[in-house]
Amino acid sequence: MIDAIPMGEQLRFAAIVILVVAGLFFTFVSAVGVLRLPDIYARAHTASQADTLGAGLALAAVALALGWQHATVYTVLLLFFVFITNPTAAHAIARSAAESGITPVTSEPTATDGGERADDGPADSSPNTDGEDGSTGGGGSA
Amino acid sequence: MVDNRLLVPLSETPTVRQTVGYAVQSGLEDADELEVHLVVALPYDAEVPEGEQQISEAKQLLSKATRWAAEDAGNADVTLETEVLGTDEYLFGPRDYADVFGSYADEHDVERIVLDPEYKPGVTSSILQPLERELDAVGLPYDEAPVERPARHERLVGTGTERFDRYFALFWISFGFYLVLGDPTYWFDLVTGVAVAGIVSFSLANVTFSFPLHRVESPLRTLRFAIYVPYLIWEIVRANIAISYVILRPSMPIEPVVTRVDARVRSGLPLLALANSITLTPGTLVVRANDQRLIVHTLIPPAREDLFDGSLERAVRFVFNGRAAARIPTPRERGDAEIVGGDEV
Amino acid sequence: MIPTSIEEIFLLAAALFVLLAIMMFYRAVAGPTTQDRLLAVNVLGTNTVVILALLAAGLDEPWFLDIALIYALLNFLMAVAISKFTVERGGVL
Repeated sequence: MIDAIPMGEQLRFAAIVILVVAGLFFTFVSAVGVLRLPDIYARAHTASQADTLGAGLALAAVALALGWQHATVYTVLLLFFVFITNPTAAHAIARSAAESGITPVTSEPTATDGGERADDGPADSSPNTDGEDGSTGGGGSA
Repeated sequence: MVDNRLLVPLSETPTVRQTVGYAVQSGLEDADELEVHLVVALPYDAEVPEGEQQISEAKQLLSKATRWAAEDAGNADVTLETEVLGTDEYLFGPRDYADVFGSYADEHDVERIVLDPEYKPGVTSSILQPLERELDAVGLPYDEAPVERPARHERLVGTGTERFDRYFALFWISFGFYLVLGDPTYWFDLVTGVAVAGIVSFSLANVTFSFPLHRVESPLRTLRFAIYVPYLIWEIVRANIAISYVILRPSMPIEPVVTRVDARVRSGLPLLALANSITLTPGTLVVRANDQRLIVHTLIPPAREDLFDGSLERAVRFVFNGRAAARIPTPRERGDAEIVGGDEV
Repeated sequence: MIPTSIEEIFLLAAALFVLLAIMMFYRAVAGPTTQDRLLAVNVLGTNTVVILALLAAGLDEPWFLDIALIYALLNFLMAVAISKFTVERGGVL
């Protein structure tokens, strides 16, 4: 069946699938972040940013699927709108939390070099768990 | 020697004339002698391209105000002093203005400020604290001139060509937006689009552009912004992948830290663009923006390092001020970035 | 089910987005602070916009995009308005 579709269409199909899967992945990250992170400030990071990218990618997939027509313009507008308003809303919420006197959970910052090493080091030691988490997002959407 | 001194900060507003009149009149109420200091505070140092022009505009305003004050003083003994403030520093928000007025007042032994109710310290964005509160903090008594305030929407800012530029720009922006939503080939949409764009540009031009447009610079900024967007998206994707990696790990090695960064961008649109870009990049979240002082919550060390390296700040400076302005030291090198405790938010 | 057409992919993706929205709904209910709930509802709103857009493409109903656009506007306004009113001084934005 796929053989009957011209090459360009196949490419477009593949691009749409990749965009949708990536969008789902980042929205999944956002949802996990909202559930796992310790306080409102940390949650705002993923809630409003990973989610913005997730939404952006999914909307881009829709725009690509619709092709060159009028509804695409709407989708692109929507995309821009989400990208402008989401960080503003995140800032408003974080500021509101700060004004209400919620203090963020902070940890002692590691030194510049140490911080990078600490981040790179354990990365190699836990590839299995990473793979599992990644496939939950990717596998569910395929 | 006169001991009755007033400081009157001036800006190009419809009520500036009445403010000068009130200052002279109220100052002469309980004394025969009066010294009025008329000052104009410039938001930017003279190094920016439009600096020269701003200084000459400030001098014009001062000479006009001097004439008004002399007119109002009549035969009374009024000494007039004029000064352009802030030419050698970078006044960012109300706090800096209040500081400058405070030190000027100390130097010249002025006890009281007469404020124009429409006074706009530079390009204030709405997130900045009002000047009044900052003046209280400095401890300078102020007095708001009781002018008849014209309704805000009737305020006509700028000269004729400046106003035309705003109407023109907003007309085409709203007309274009209307046609994007409608059908550009259908005559009905074209006619209603012209009508709607006309109403919008007529009623909202002064609200939309609170800053003067520049015929060369403004389209150039839009163009540079178009270059900036792909760069920003690349940064967002990069940071998103980094943060996904941290969040999905069962150990979740996050390191939430509150930092303070003094951004060297102008208030208003550039600050908005920078703060939004920082927030859009995962791992950094602007919690507060007091003047140019951004309180940023950072989640992972690499994001913090990126923030302190100031790549987004340089990019925003490139968008608004051109390539030359982008070459500044990083916030870390300037000492404008530091880690602060969680109580700072 | 293995999706074969673009429409089916979009419908499946919309379903998965609904699942993610249900995950985030936990935070909206659990809180603990007002801002946590607000944040969760804001993310839910963004998700709803995406779901509407995916359905518009999947069901070939382009007018869903109008609703998505308005929903995005309202979502933003809601977040800003509520954060403004949770603060006494009202100076959030």
